[in-house]
This record gives sequence, structure tokens and C-alpha cells, in this order.
Amino acid sequence: MTRFFRYLKLWLVLARFALLHEMAFRSNFLLKVFVEVLWLTILLLFYDVIYSKTDTIQGWDRHQYQFFVGCYFAVEGIIETLFLENCHDFSHQVRTGNLDTMLLQPIDEQFLITMRRVDWSTVPNVLMGAGVMIFAVGNASTIQIGTTQGVLFLVSFVCAVLLAYSFLLMLTSSAVWMVRNQSLMELWWLFSSLMRYPREIFQNSWAWPIGRIFTWVLPVMLTISVPAEIMVRPLSRWEYAVWLVIATVMMLTLSRRFFRRALRRYRSASS
Amino acid sequence: MKANMGTSASFSSLAQRLSWSIRKYFNIFRIALVERLAYRSDFILSSALRLLPMLTTILLWTSVYIGSGRGELSGFRLAEMIAYLLLVHISRMFSSMPGLASGIALDIREGNLKKYLLQPLDMLTYLLVYRMAHKIAYFVTSFVPYAILFFLCRGYFDHLPDLTTGTAYLVSLLLAFFVGFYFEACIGMVGFWLLEVTSLLYIVNTLNYFVSGHMFPLDLLPEPWAELLKWLPFQYMAYFPAAVFLGKVQGEALGRGLLAEAGWAIALAVTARGLFRIGLRRYSAYGG
Repeated sequence: MTRFFRYLKLWLVLARFALLHEMAFRSNFLLKVFVEVLWLTILLLFYDVIYSKTDTIQGWDRHQYQFFVGCYFAVEGIIETLFLENCHDFSHQVRTGNLDTMLLQPIDEQFLITMRRVDWSTVPNVLMGAGVMIFAVGNASTIQIGTTQGVLFLVSFVCAVLLAYSFLLMLTSSAVWMVRNQSLMELWWLFSSLMRYPREIFQNSWAWPIGRIFTWVLPVMLTISVPAEIMVRPLSRWEYAVWLVIATVMMLTLSRRFFRRALRRYRSASS
Repeated sequence: MKANMGTSASFSSLAQRLSWSIRKYFNIFRIALVERLAYRSDFILSSALRLLPMLTTILLWTSVYIGSGRGELSGFRLAEMIAYLLLVHISRMFSSMPGLASGIALDIREGNLKKYLLQPLDMLTYLLVYRMAHKIAYFVTSFVPYAILFFLCRGYFDHLPDLTTGTAYLVSLLLAFFVGFYFEACIGMVGFWLLEVTSLLYIVNTLNYFVSGHMFPLDLLPEPWAELLKWLPFQYMAYFPAAVFLGKVQGEALGRGLLAEAGWAIALAVTARGLFRIGLRRYSAYGG
């Protein structure tokens, strides 16, 4: 427990430092936030156009889908705030050999490499995502929320963030093998496209085997689907929720092992 | 006689200069091509990963059509919609210019423009030729993944365009390259006035994703928005070529569209050159 608090204290110091850095370039910070607002607006407009043509997408109505989008935005916002930029940096450090300095620090490598810098400009994304979720729940007449549901949602939301993080960590680790891995941001964007849509779009389609793989083998499709479903529609099968929790624990362990194995394979750039 | 000799001498020196100029730019083209082909495995990998969002897009739109219970949305059948969403990728292959604007802005900020000013080299022509080589290398390396993709999705294409439409499509793609190039170059030139264009570029690119019709055909938007966006140059970077291929623009409208696209390409080229010229007056060549 003292270890945990030690790391928390360290993280808070790092976060404060990042905030000071960000505030030194305030207009840049505001511009970055503006881009995110723009992106969310475009996303919502896109679904607005779609829902002007249909009432349902595989059983998801307009407000349920809005909730899904909000949930995705919040999870992605947390990932971007805490991890994405750090992970993006990793391949650069491998290529240049700067990773040496990090490995010499008396601290957990995974913590230092994936969490040292907080990207404050994406914090508003989490709030905007939450805003969209609240708006969607407020506007839907069919959605009733009980305490159990709220607690289950919070648990599955935390699982969603951790699960997404473990996938990101695995993608990041692969940089050791593929030295010219410059576009982690793009790889992550391509990969996370599986999180952006409800699982049901794979149903009753030729692509169902792919849907099964990304639900049961690499459960990336559960990430947003389960928390959103728990909140706004009756979860089609409770197994999914249980699997989300188990998969999170498994993937966290697995990705950590994968990361450590990658580090063992790391040879400093000079050798 | 004397005058005649003078004319022929100046003619031959002009021809020589022209041939040097062509050789110069051809060599730039060749070097850039070799540079790009060195990273082919990286290209193939990222192209392969691109299949993932395409898959989810196809499934999403299939679900939308099933949900609506209609065979046609704003004049697009499901097959046409998916063909459209595949074709915008081809449009973007021609019109997207990653790194162009930020590269120009960086050259301005760091004082690297000198290298263009001190040599008999026109910056915009240099960058244009350089970019052409990159594009060709990109087409060569991404041909196989795209060929596989289009083969797998052949069911969404009911019929291939006829000769006129096919030719118009190719012309629209070539013009899309010029529209994309000079548009992005104009943004790069803003670097003469602003120290940092990355954020501006983010905003423009995010907006462009929507207004160019990359996300969905502009026809799906309610009026007057659809009509309004078709008056702007952005549609030529994604929507227009794809719509031409699908035969959505025909006859007189097709000719008008191509002329407008060429007009935008010229207007943007003139603007980029104008901004460069005005910007140079402010330019103070920082750096060593």
C-alpha cells in the first residue's frame, strides 16, 4: 500500500509539472481543446445525419447511440490524457536509444514509460463525453437508472479503460521489434475503430466470425459496448459483463508480460 | 542574317535551359522515389491495418440500411454507398498531402527557405515534383492491399464506368491532386505570419474530413448545406471524384464540375504563389 501511495505521489508531482508546462503555452492549449470540441461535434453531426435516415442501428436508437458515443469519447479521453502521448514517444526512445536513461531509474518501467506525462489538453474530452452521456440519458424516456446499474456501469467503465490501456501497451511494446514504428497514434486509431461501434453490427453478417474473434479472443469490442449496454439497454447476455472483468485482469497481466519481454529484447541504439 | 542567328542561338540556349530544368526536376523525382520505396514493408503494413475501419464502416452502413427499411438513402443504394466510401479513399490518396503544410511552415520558421532562394530552384515546383514521386511510390506500394480490398468488395460495384465517365474520373483525380497540393501549400504559407501552423492544420483537417464528403456523401446532408458545400473547393478532395465514378454527375454537370475543379486548382495555385511572394517580403531568414 505504501508503494501505491509513493507512486500516486510521484504521479501527482509529474501531473502538476505537465500542467505548468501546458499553461506556459495557453493559446496552444486552448486550440487543442477547440480541435477536440470540433471533432466531437462532427461525430455527433455524423450520427445525427444517420439517424435522420433511420430510427435504429441494430437495435440502438438515437439516444442509446448518443450514450455509446459519449462513453467512447470519455474512455478515449482518459486513454489520451494518461497514456497515449507517452506510448507514442516510446518508439522514438527505442530508435534513438534514449530508453536507456528511463531503464536506469529506480522505478517501475511500465509506470515511467506509459504514465510519466499527463496530456491535460484532452481532459475536457472526458467531461464532454460525460456531458453527452448525461444529455442522452436525460433525453431518452426509456432509460431508467437504478443504483445497482450505476455501480455496475462504473465498474465496467473502469474495466473498459484498463482493457483499452492493455491493448495500447501491447501495440506500444511491438515498437521494440519493429524499430520504425512511427505512427503509433495512427495504429491506435485504426485499432480502436473496433471500439467505436456497437458489437451488434457484426451480427447476422458475413463478418460474424471476425466479430466473435474480437469479442472472445481479443475482446476489444466489449470495451465500450458493455458499459454502454449496462446503462441504456438491457444487456443481451450477462456473460459479456463477466467476460469483460475477467478479460481485463487477463489482458493487464498479459500485456505487462509482453511489455517486459519487449524490454528484454531492447538493445540500446548504439550497439 | 545576324538577327536570325541571334534568334536561333537564343532558341538553342532556351532549349538547353529547358532540358536542364527538366533533368533537374527529373532527378529530384527519381531520388524521392527511391527514398520512398525503401520503406515499402512499413507501407504495406499500415495499408493492411487500414482494412479494419473499412470493415466497420461497411458493417455500420449495412446496419443503417437494414434499420431504415429503405433501399435508397438520398439517391444512394447500399452498394453505391459502400462503393462511395471505398472510392473516397482513392480520392484521398490523390488529394491528401501529409506533412506538406507543416514542412513549409517549418522551413519558414527555421530559416531554411534560403536553400530555395539561393539556388535556381522554385520552391513550389520542387515540392510539387517531390510530392508527385511520393504519391507514385505510395500508389505502387499500396496497390496490392488496395487491389485485394477492391477485389473482396467487387460485389458493391454493379458496373464499371463507361469510357467517358472513366476518363472524367481520372481527370478529376489528377485535379484533386493539384487542389489538395495547393490548398495545403496555402496553409503552409500562413507560416509567414503565424509561428505555429500545426494547430490550424489540425482544425482544417478535422473540418475537411467532414466537408469534403470523406465521412459520407454530401447529398445526405439537408439543404441548403449539401448545395453550399458543393460550392466550396473541399468536395473535390473526396466527394467529387467518387461521385463521378458512380455516375452521379453526368452530362453538362460533369463538364461544369471538372471546369470548376480546374478553376479551384488554378485559383489555389495563384493564391499559394501570391502568399509566397508577399510572405518573402516579411521573411528574415532566421537560423544558420
